[in-house]
Order: sequence, then C-alpha cells, then structure tokens
Amino acid sequence: MLKLQSEKISEGINIHTIKTDKFKTSLINFYLQRPLNTEEVTYNSLTSMVLQRGTENYKTSKEISKKLEYLYGSQLYGNVRKKGERQILEFSLRTADTSYIEDKNMQREAIRLLNNLVNKPLIEEDGFRAAYVQQEKVNLSNKIKGRLNDKMQYSLERLVEEMCVKEGYRLHEYGREEDLSGISPQNLYNHYRRVMKESPIDIVVVGNHAHNNIKNQILENIGFNTIIPIIPQDIQLAEAPATPKKVVNEMEINQAKLSMGYRVDLPYSDPLYPAMILYTNILGGGAHSKLFLKVREEKSLCYYIFAKLEKFKSLLMISCGIEADKYDITTEVIGQQLEEMRRGSITDEEMRNAKRAIENSVRAMGDNAGALAEFYYSQIIGKPFYEIEELLSKIEGVTTEQLMAVAEKVKLDTIYFLKSRK
Amino acid sequence: MIKEINDKLIKESVFGKKLQNGLEVFFLPKKDYVKQYAIFATKYGSNDLSFKLDTEDSYTKVPVGIAHFLEHKLFEEPEGNVFDRFAELGANVNAYTNFNITAYYFTSTSYFYENLATLIRFVQSPYFTDENVEKEKGIIGQEIMMYQDNPEWRVFFNLLKGMYHNHPVKNDIAGTIESVNSTTKEDLYNCYNTFYHPSNMALFIAGDLDKEEVFKKVEEGFAELNYEKPHVITRQYTEEPTDIREGYIEERMLVSTPLFQIGYKDNRVGMDGIELATKEIAINILIDMIFGKSSDLYEGLYEKGLIDQSFGFDYVCERDYGHIIIGGESRSPMEVKGIIDGNISRIKKEGLDKETFERIKRKQIGENLSYYNSIEYIGNSFIGYYFKNINFLEYIKLLTEIRLETVEEYANSILDENRQVISIINP
Repeated sequence: MLKLQSEKISEGINIHTIKTDKFKTSLINFYLQRPLNTEEVTYNSLTSMVLQRGTENYKTSKEISKKLEYLYGSQLYGNVRKKGERQILEFSLRTADTSYIEDKNMQREAIRLLNNLVNKPLIEEDGFRAAYVQQEKVNLSNKIKGRLNDKMQYSLERLVEEMCVKEGYRLHEYGREEDLSGISPQNLYNHYRRVMKESPIDIVVVGNHAHNNIKNQILENIGFNTIIPIIPQDIQLAEAPATPKKVVNEMEINQAKLSMGYRVDLPYSDPLYPAMILYTNILGGGAHSKLFLKVREEKSLCYYIFAKLEKFKSLLMISCGIEADKYDITTEVIGQQLEEMRRGSITDEEMRNAKRAIENSVRAMGDNAGALAEFYYSQIIGKPFYEIEELLSKIEGVTTEQLMAVAEKVKLDTIYFLKSRK
Repeated sequence: MIKEINDKLIKESVFGKKLQNGLEVFFLPKKDYVKQYAIFATKYGSNDLSFKLDTEDSYTKVPVGIAHFLEHKLFEEPEGNVFDRFAELGANVNAYTNFNITAYYFTSTSYFYENLATLIRFVQSPYFTDENVEKEKGIIGQEIMMYQDNPEWRVFFNLLKGMYHNHPVKNDIAGTIESVNSTTKEDLYNCYNTFYHPSNMALFIAGDLDKEEVFKKVEEGFAELNYEKPHVITRQYTEEPTDIREGYIEERMLVSTPLFQIGYKDNRVGMDGIELATKEIAINILIDMIFGKSSDLYEGLYEKGLIDQSFGFDYVCERDYGHIIIGGESRSPMEVKGIIDGNISRIKKEGLDKETFERIKRKQIGENLSYYNSIEYIGNSFIGYYFKNINFLEYIKLLTEIRLETVEEYANSILDENRQVISIINP
C-alpha cells in the first residue's frame, strides 16, 4: 500500500514522499503555485522555458543535456499548467534508481543539476541572458500560435475562452502573444525572483527513498529562499447564462468539432463532489458511457466523444468530432443523455460499470509515478485531501439520488462549434 | 514446459510456453503492481494486403485498411458489444492496428482471470454481419476524417509515400473512405481465418499474479476452442526498389508554422532476430549522437531559431523495410535540410566521437530501464519484438555490448542523400 508522508520544511515549503521500490526510476517534482492572471501568465510560461537554456555552471542547453545523458538519461524539464485559476510552475527530475546502475552518486548529482536550473540561472546585466530570452520569446510565440494545430484540443480551449470570457480561467497556461513584446531579460528575472520568494512550493518525491534520506539530500543540495507565501485564492463559481451562448467558427478542416461547456454549481470542497466525478463517468467516461453508446455506437455520429470535469473550476465539457450537418441531431442526442441523468434514468449496470471504471483508473495510478505525483499534488492544493482508497469508498457510496442532485447543478453555458469553411 | 528468460541487470523475468494450438504465451511477474495487463496480438497489420496459405493456390487481395476494420468489428458479438463485458468488471479494453500487428488488450485491477477469459473468447469468435459491417463504415469514416485534419499524421504519410514505390507501408493504416466502403463481410472473414489462428498470434500477460495460475487459466481459456492445423502464411509484396519515389513532397494545411519530416530509406533490409536488433540499436545510437539535444547540429539549428522543442527523430526497424525520420516544426524546413546535409557529410568524413558514443550509450541504457516501469510498454514492445524474433529482455544487454565501429558502419550506409525524402506541410 502506497502512503504519502508529508512534512513542512519551512513556511510555504512542504515535502511529500511516497516510498516504493516498484519503479526503476525515481521522480522529484517541484511545484510552485501562482495566481492565473493577465499580469504574469506569460511571464511564468516564458520563465519555465528560459531556465532550461542555461545555468551558472552549465551555460548552454547542450551542456545541460550532456550532463543529463551522462547521468543515465536523467530527464529534467520545466513546464507550466493550470489548475482552475492557478498557474503551476513545475520542474520535474526523473533519474534511474541507483540500485540498477553502478554510478551511486548519480542521484545527488542530478539533484544538484536541478538546483542549478532553479536557483542558479545564467544571469548577465541583472537579467537572464538576453539571447536566450529573445529565442524563447519566438519559441513561445510559435507555441501559442501552434495551439490550433491540434483541432480537438484547440476547440476545447476555444470553448473555455468563450465560456469564461470574464474569468482568469480563460487564459491559456502558455500565456498571451501580446505580452511578449513587453518582456525584457531584466523584468523577467525580477519576476522570477519574486516567484521564488512568494510562491508556495511543494516537492513530491516518488521512488525508493526513505523520507528522511531524500529530504536531507534535497535540503543539502537545493537552496531555498525565505518564503513569504502568498496562496492563490479560489474564486467564486460563476453562473450559467439564462440562454446558452453559441459560437460558431469556421476553419479549413474536414471534421467539425462540437464542444459543449456546462457550469457545475458545486465546488470540489463539497461532500457531494465525488458524486460529480461519478456523474461525469456515467455520462461520458469511456466505452461504457451514455454518450459513447448512444452517440457513437447507436447513431454512428462520431468516432470519439467524451465528457471531462475540470476539478478546480467546476466545469463539465463534452467534446466530439462529427459531420458539420449533424450538428442538430448530435446536440439533441447529447441533451437527451443529460436529461436522462437529471431524471435519474441510470441503470444498475451503468452505475456499476462507471464505479468500476473509476476504481480501475484511480487504483492504476499507483503504477505510474508521474500520475501518482500529480494526483497527490492535486489533493494537496485542492482540499479535502483524499487518499486513493478514501476517494474510492466515497464514490462507491454514491446513490442515484445524489447523482440526480448533482445533475440539477449542471447548466449548459456555451456551445462552441468549429466547422469547415466551404 | 514453461521456459524462463531473465535479465540480471534489470531484474526482470519473462516466462514462456507454447500451447498445443501453436500460441506462444508469455508472463512477466510484476510484484506490487496494482494493475494487470494482457495483450493478445496477431502478426497481421495494414501491410498485409496480399497473401495465401500453403493450402491455397493463388494470392488473395483485400482492400486497404482491412486489418483496422477487422479490429473494430471483433468487438461485436451476437449479444452486443464486448466493451460491456469488460466494463462490468471494471477493466479497460482497447485495441490498435499498426503496419504489422493488430493487438487487443485490457488493463484491470481486479477480476483479472474473468477478463482474460473474455479477451481470449472475443478475439477468437468473429461475428460479422452485413448490417454491422455497414454500420461501422460511418464510424471509421469519422476516424479517417479526424486523421486527415491531423498535420503530424499527414506529414508522416506523405513522407512514406515519397519513400516507397510499392511497399504497402505507404498506405494509411485505416485505408481511405472508398476502400472502407468497399469492404465486405466476406473480406473480413477471409482475413480473419488467415491471420487469427493461434499459431500466428502471441499472448503476453503482466502483473502481480501467480505464474502457475496464469498458464493454467490461459489453457482453460482455449480448452473449448477447436482449431484446424496451423498453416504457413505467405505474404506477397511487389518488389520494392532501394531508391525513393519522390524526394520532395509538400502539402498545404491549416497550421501555424510549417511542419516537416525528413526520411532516410534503409537499404539494408531482410534481417531478423539479433542481427535486426543490433542494427536497430546501432542506428538509434547514431541518430541520437547526430540529432540529439547535446549535438552540435541540434544546438546550431536551435540557436538559429530553425527548430524548437518539437524537434525529434526516430528509426523504424522492420524485417522488410526501415527508415529514419527526423522532424518537427520550422519556419524554414529547407534550411534545416541544408544544414543537416552539410553536417552529415562532415560526420562521414570525420567519423564519430568516442566520448559522445559512450555517453549516449549510458543515456539509452537509462531510458531502456525506465521502460520497465510501464507494464503496457513492456507488453507492446515484447510482442512487437517477438514477431521479429527478438527477445526484448536482451535488448539492454545488446545495447551495452554495441561497438562504435558498428555504429560507424551504419552511418556510412543509411545516411545517404540519394535515399532522402523531405515532406513539408506549409500553412
């Protein structure tokens, strides 16, 4: 049985370890919490890219890569993602477990490299190296523009932009192109210094380490600033409009993408929230779900269809790819499935299948170090904290009445339809 | 008899046994893993379009995309969709078709043996009707449309079409709307009967399970199924010249930045087993040395803003074909190609660096080790290599033994501008 051991290192800094010898590798994830807002979204995103370009001791990406290769293909990368109205700056280090290789100093060296990346960036003229900032600005701009290459993901992101037009959540974790011109090596570095001083930091470790050993190794090799943590606040949930908003965009594509966004008037801290997880699964959580069986299997309208829940924002989103002229029938059939949920028209089989599917996928996280770290981090910052089995027993206990109760809280907000330009 | 294959370096063992019906069964114990995984695969993919059994006189030719169509339809049973029966037991079932393999698999965290029995039974009992075949055409049509909007998919298949004259690897795995619409129930049964005999298949199981129990349950699963005597399958490919069909292919799509792939067609094909594995390892090290993040080439291209994090490379190594693919996004793919060409002719003259070779070897050993974290990854790899007569567990050992001379030998043969293709998707 995996168990998370947490310890406060100092104000705003916590370390969480999961000891297991089942993996061939060891994982250390560093998470910093930022508020998701227009002032800093692009700064955080760009910083995660610039930091990987060079450090005091390893001045180029090439030198960093050489070191990582030498350390048996260790992986070290920085990334940003969003959880509700928070932007998470993440650094992740994966190394081979030292019991499988001859080089016993490897773990320590890899941690030092992580420290280099995070705490000793390459500084010139009171800023990050200008050439790196300039190059990564171009790369980030391309990355932002490149969002439209993946039509499935893009249409979901567009749905969020349209739906949350007045909320921070509309922002993409990559940031905004228009901010890039205002960023200089100096103001980016100043921003990063503030980030390191103010951000709550969580370190999640998964691997074959005793808690104290790895904690000490991290404390000995990674420097921490004194932190005055400013914890990003969770915002009030917005309400769906009386008449759902409908947005149609045209693009040169073959398959139209239908995305439907719903507000769920239920924060994740609510005891009913596990029922909402189950609701989403019965509706669109896989090949056993209402949407899959009805829209795909019975009506042959699509190849893929699913529903997903954004925990930190209480949004439900449905996505599928269809023929553009099947819009009316598809939205109608989807609407009928939500109506069935509202009426409590859920068979014992649907209930059982969904509970088992969640049980299977939640337990299965135990075999994936990255998924484990992610699950626990999500529990740490979005309380209540549920252990895996605790969450499962809550879901197991959900009744049809509770599903009907949460169904009343699900309101259609926006339909985003991306269709081909004829 | 159950045989054991093990590797001391990675501390893993696989147990294998051949059943009476000809099926090879493998089991990898994974202590403390919550998940169990079973994958049941046939050596049959989208490339197999013309074939015959030793009892037949002439070759059967079938529509493009049929292996994938068959994969979709096997989930159907007289009582309905087999997804339901896995769902009842909380298992996650799925399948994939690639150029050479069709595989059905599930992951579970409980009721493993019940799910295993369902997997064996559904893969071994086809149920195709005119009606259910017809209905599937709409769904597969949407799948093909989805891929047509995927620039990475398109740049890749355009590249293959530039590299190959006749080899079926140039065809889309799912076929075309037309080939799918022309597929009949009879075609499906024909392919099924040829390729889904246990002697052409393999079953791989991994999890925290008891070895004796695993093999016992597998045998029970097949006990009631009767099979004809195994036949030898001959696959027919039109002769593939070593040269390429077209060196430059361009298409326009809605993308933000041009997308490119550069391919080198392998001219030394027809190996299998250890020889094939050694070639794959040598070429993987070679391309990592030349194109990897610590290379001069990568640094130069990155600093010039010609490539970004999307840059990557891969070597595909099959018995009867092979190709290196290098690709990513770039504002100027032709400039990238020019710099790559210059770099490669320099490397051919100057040779490869010993220190880099040793470092890349360490990197790949660590990476290979990490693959053993995922039972799905091990299962897929093990089966894929098994069909090429390669034991996946020996891979790390071969990797530690590889010599720089072998890598250099391949550098001189495969990286030939005459067998190079560039495929570009422009905005």
